[in-house]
Amino acid sequence: MGFFTREKEQVPCTVEVSHRFEALHAHVRFNNGAVVHPGDEVLVHGAPVVAAYGELVVEDRMATITRATWLERQWVRLTGDFDFMELCEFSFSEELAV
Amino acid sequence: MKDSTIDTGHNTTHGELHAELSGKFDTTAMATEATLLNPRFYTTDFDEMDKIDVTPVRAEWDTLIAQMKSDPNKGHFKKNADWDHVDWAGMDPHLRAEFIDFLVSSCTAEFSGCVLYKEMKRRGNNPDICELFNYMARDEARHAGFINDALREAGVAVNLGFLTKAKKYTYFRPKFIYYATYLSEKIGYARYITIFRHLEAHPEHRFHPIFKWFKEWCNDEFSHGEAFALLMRTDPKLTQSWANKLWIRFFLTAVYSTMWVRDHARKDFHAALGVDIDWYDQEVYRKTSAIARQVFPVELDIDHPRWIPGLRRMNDAMLDMERGRKQGGLAGGLTNAWGTVRAMTAFVGLYLIPVKHTTPPASVRMEPVY
Repeated sequence: MGFFTREKEQVPCTVEVSHRFEALHAHVRFNNGAVVHPGDEVLVHGAPVVAAYGELVVEDRMATITRATWLERQWVRLTGDFDFMELCEFSFSEELAV
Repeated sequence: MKDSTIDTGHNTTHGELHAELSGKFDTTAMATEATLLNPRFYTTDFDEMDKIDVTPVRAEWDTLIAQMKSDPNKGHFKKNADWDHVDWAGMDPHLRAEFIDFLVSSCTAEFSGCVLYKEMKRRGNNPDICELFNYMARDEARHAGFINDALREAGVAVNLGFLTKAKKYTYFRPKFIYYATYLSEKIGYARYITIFRHLEAHPEHRFHPIFKWFKEWCNDEFSHGEAFALLMRTDPKLTQSWANKLWIRFFLTAVYSTMWVRDHARKDFHAALGVDIDWYDQEVYRKTSAIARQVFPVELDIDHPRWIPGLRRMNDAMLDMERGRKQGGLAGGLTNAWGTVRAMTAFVGLYLIPVKHTTPPASVRMEPVY
């Protein structure tokens, strides 16, 4: 991890998208066991993964993990908690004039 | 609401995702609108979670996991003859907009839960915790699929394009996840069951068949909440220390007041259900608080004379904040700033209402009884 510089890693990953009645989900798994830390950014390459209704799509892709700098990581660890309302999922969207 | 996309309010949480207007994500339905699902991405202290030892609650834990494994709701989320026709075209446009916001928010909630739980399952090394999160991810994906189908009927296609957008991962301490997720699951149960019981008594207000599924549905929410209650019980500090009691009080105030403000912005939805919003929200708080006694040692006093006036002040202030933001410019900025000051004052006022202290029972487990 760089103190001031962001390092980038190219990582093979498997994307799984289920757009079916029985399950709607989407996950990205890094095939080399790479893990994401606070402040890191992940970009899956290629065109948007398109799953028509009723489809389960599993594709191998490449992803870029942009590692946060040491400073960014500390900052996100310190301040991430302030976004705690994002964890509260209930009721309606935050928009008050629908 | 624009013609071709729904601004769900979830779209720009991290400012990195934008709705892609496209019918190509759904080639079969009469999709006229696309809504981008934007789940949250976060990490937590996975090492700390691995250290959780469920030994103190082992018997109750095993019972709950066995129940989840047996998957009692496996056959529930199927459309059958009870799923009657919905006249989307004939629906009042305001009601339709609010109802779709309800469905999209619910779908996003389930979807985000699924992403979070799956990530925890994948990153964890503790077999108890991994098994739990696996079942919870399964339930959330199933719920999301069911809601998605209802949205498709309304001509709304979800767009999963977020996958190939840059995603920044933020961080929450595990205890924040416990408090917030526990409350979300239990409040979700209370919200669903209150609507379900109300519509049982007043079926003429049931304007969409999805409400018929709420009873079994909310039992999933209930058992997910149970799991977090047990997790919190494995470490007494999480609920008993002086600082954590203040955090719990803070979460309760934030969640209850947010619910009040968001619900009161959906007048047509609640009018169609024949529900008085003040009554509904108080009823949901009452049920949630009664359930939360299983693990939280403090309870908000929702019958205190300052409670509802405080919520109303908060609501007025938040409406002004949004009005100011939309107006823009100096005048809008001032309206927004003044609204923010009033909202914070209202929040502090609500937070400072004396709480009721309770002693959680020896056995944490509860059954859904409402």
